[in-house]
Amino acid sequence: MSAAPLILGIESSCDETGVGIVRGTELLANTVSTSMEQHVRFGGVIPEIAARAHLETMIPTLQQALDTAGVSLDDVDALAVTSGPGLSGALMVGVAAAKALAAATGKPLYAINHLVAHVGVGVLDGGELPENLGALLVSGGHTEILKVNELTSDVELLGQTIDDAAGEAYDKVARLLGLGYPGGPAVDRIAKEGNPKAIRFPRGLTMPKFVGTADAPGKHRYDFSFSGLKTAVARSVEQYQAKGLEVPVADIAASFQEAVVDVVTKKAVMACTEHGLTSLLLGGGVAANSRLRELLAARCASAGITLRVPKPSLCTDNGAMIAALASQVVSAGVAPTGLGFATDPGQPVTQISLTA
Amino acid sequence: MKPVTDSPLWTREIESIDAETTQALAARIAGALGPGDLILLSGELGAGKTTFTQGLGEGLGVRGGIISPTFVLARVHPALADGPDLVHVDAYRLGSSGEIDDIDLEATMPTSVTVIEWGRGKAEHLADSYLEIHLLRATGDDEAGEEIIIDFEETDEDDPRVLRISGYGPRWADPALLGL
Repeated sequence: MSAAPLILGIESSCDETGVGIVRGTELLANTVSTSMEQHVRFGGVIPEIAARAHLETMIPTLQQALDTAGVSLDDVDALAVTSGPGLSGALMVGVAAAKALAAATGKPLYAINHLVAHVGVGVLDGGELPENLGALLVSGGHTEILKVNELTSDVELLGQTIDDAAGEAYDKVARLLGLGYPGGPAVDRIAKEGNPKAIRFPRGLTMPKFVGTADAPGKHRYDFSFSGLKTAVARSVEQYQAKGLEVPVADIAASFQEAVVDVVTKKAVMACTEHGLTSLLLGGGVAANSRLRELLAARCASAGITLRVPKPSLCTDNGAMIAALASQVVSAGVAPTGLGFATDPGQPVTQISLTA
Repeated sequence: MKPVTDSPLWTREIESIDAETTQALAARIAGALGPGDLILLSGELGAGKTTFTQGLGEGLGVRGGIISPTFVLARVHPALADGPDLVHVDAYRLGSSGEIDDIDLEATMPTSVTVIEWGRGKAEHLADSYLEIHLLRATGDDEAGEEIIIDFEETDEDDPRVLRISGYGPRWADPALLGL
């Protein structure tokens, strides 16, 4: 094996079928096929539909990635696949495909953590990851703050949502406001026309009893809650409707978005400051949100934290991130997982690659 | 299986002053539950359905991390000791009882307590007996006539709910079973 291993990564944890190919930290192919359109009428991802779509698109996506990279399966040094966290049925398709490829080619197979891969993808855009790194992951299914002690062996969960994920709150609020699915881009778009200070929506888990102090942290110091915010938006909409008034959709959208972005950025920066983290990587689909990027950049700058945001095609779910993390895992000398593993829909961030 | 009757055998209302009280009530209800039991949870967005389920999970002694299942539709929380697993389902995005059948709850029901948020009208056919728990919160309608509220900031004030519990089918003939 040469110094920079050639890795093929497969991702199928949600509604994106992704196959990526990297050589070390160099991106050679990042092919993604999404079944998003098929989920629109359900207002969210339906796992069985996603799984079926993965089945249909897996082979063409794989073929296209190989063509784009100009390599053959024979050239690949190792295979990698998302084993979790994610939707059970969706994960199974990617894992079955990866195991079949490994069995057919005899190549080593690595089972990779989807969330840590959102961090590992950083090496493809801007090179090696800095020391003292934190990560903020925000997507339809996830809202987490991570402390990356060692990318391939030691990642800690500092905070997460205790009810809805941020992207899920966007979907629910978009539905309350009649904006359609997916909610993130729809709310972000109309929020630009509204006043973010028109309505003061709750910032979940920011009261002293939850936050505590740096020395005596409360139970939910770095955790998020978007359920109360969603309730407040529902009550806000209902009171206009009950009075026969027009619902100020743009103002509600802008004020809701401000509440989400305010609490997410504040807690992420606080977690970094209190854990001596001098760099922060932003990942996940909601990283595309314009207001989130803007406020996070401003607050990181004030706190002296270097913010790193990979390009959008690497922030949303993709196979290149699985290959990128696997490449680091291979280079660190970690043994392959082999074929004897199962999907883990709730795989914790402490399991970066599964051991055989 | 079709429920024996479409009207409840009994209904009880319990007031809860805050989320902790709701969870404590749920934990007590959990004490009366066993494998195969079905609970339909209803109530508006934000009424506290997931909060209630967190208390239920605590009472059943299953693996924690109970968060909204809207995104994944269904999540299994395995028992930490002897006892049933908890299967936490959100039917909000599902259109009909046929789509409920698609997620194959029948495979897990015999060994689990199954809780279905927004299950009313879609999931009754899964068991011949079930509990319905309807959570009621103050809605924006109740604020009609007053000024438009524009400050919803998180406060220490209590956020009361009413739990309306109804029993359906032979399993729940006697409300005293719940021990409330």
